[in-house]
Amino acid sequence: MPGPGLITGYLDTLSGQLPWPVVEELADGLEETYRRHLGLGLAPDAAAAVAIAEFGAPELITAEFARAHPARRAARRLLATGPVVGSCWAVALITSRAWTWPVPMAADLVPGLALVAVVALLAFAARSTRYRPIGRAGAAGCIGTAALDAFMIIGVLAADPAARWAVAVAITASAARLALNVRLVRPVLAGNGLHDTGQAAAVFGEGGRPGDAA
Amino acid sequence: MRAEELKGHLDALLLAALEAGPRHGYAVIEALRQDTGGRLDLPTGTIYPALRRLEQAGLIAGSWSVVAGRRRRCYRLTATGQQTLAGRRAAWREFAATVSAVLEGGPCPDPA
Repeated sequence: MPGPGLITGYLDTLSGQLPWPVVEELADGLEETYRRHLGLGLAPDAAAAVAIAEFGAPELITAEFARAHPARRAARRLLATGPVVGSCWAVALITSRAWTWPVPMAADLVPGLALVAVVALLAFAARSTRYRPIGRAGAAGCIGTAALDAFMIIGVLAADPAARWAVAVAITASAARLALNVRLVRPVLAGNGLHDTGQAAAVFGEGGRPGDAA
Repeated sequence: MRAEELKGHLDALLLAALEAGPRHGYAVIEALRQDTGGRLDLPTGTIYPALRRLEQAGLIAGSWSVVAGRRRRCYRLTATGQQTLAGRRAAWREFAATVSAVLEGGPCPDPA
């Protein structure tokens, strides 16, 4: 975008934190704002400074986009299911006397460590104000949750085919969360749900940046 | 009027700004500025994430176009957005009438 270095620097800061199509939309609005102030008689540098002041600090804008990130919503909803699904599995494993099952030690440790990692990822995605890391942590957390649910269902069915009522309830809870996860993870994986990549590619080429089409 | 005072109402304002027809982000900002006589004092850059949030909720739909060599994202109200706006408008009228009845005196609106 033509204009003083102040605006270029502002957009550079945003482009380091937000996807290009989002920055592109912001740049369009910022340029319009800049032109309006030029039209009101301000000098270019003053017009740029006023336009940027009207737009708000990059951290503020990034934080607002982070709040709107689909990965954040997905992480919060999956975290909310944690106590319910976890309680179901705790009851199921205790009533099934899971400690007597002939399983290798790794099968006991790995799910526990994976659970801690998944909760940490989801908690980060649910609370962070940094846009890009939210998408990555949220996607990893969603996939990790799905993997844990699938592991628990398959593992318990393999270890104790004669499922008791508590195991059936826990499997149902995990299956329901898997279904929820499939619905939540789609916008998270599809370009963070903030831009229609097909149209971006049509105009700019696969990279989604000006000049890529050539 | 500051951003904190707008909390809970910004979505309805954005939907109303799109009621007349599709607009891009800056046009939405300008519509709000004109309709409020410039009394809205919020960082205009925060309008864009709010528009994206409404889009994710299916209340508005966005599409890209190219204007004067620049890519521009325009938004239009969806059918769900129109229904939501109608509901928010009715709720606001009831809220405003109720509060006004207390603060300024006068008849309280019929709860029906």
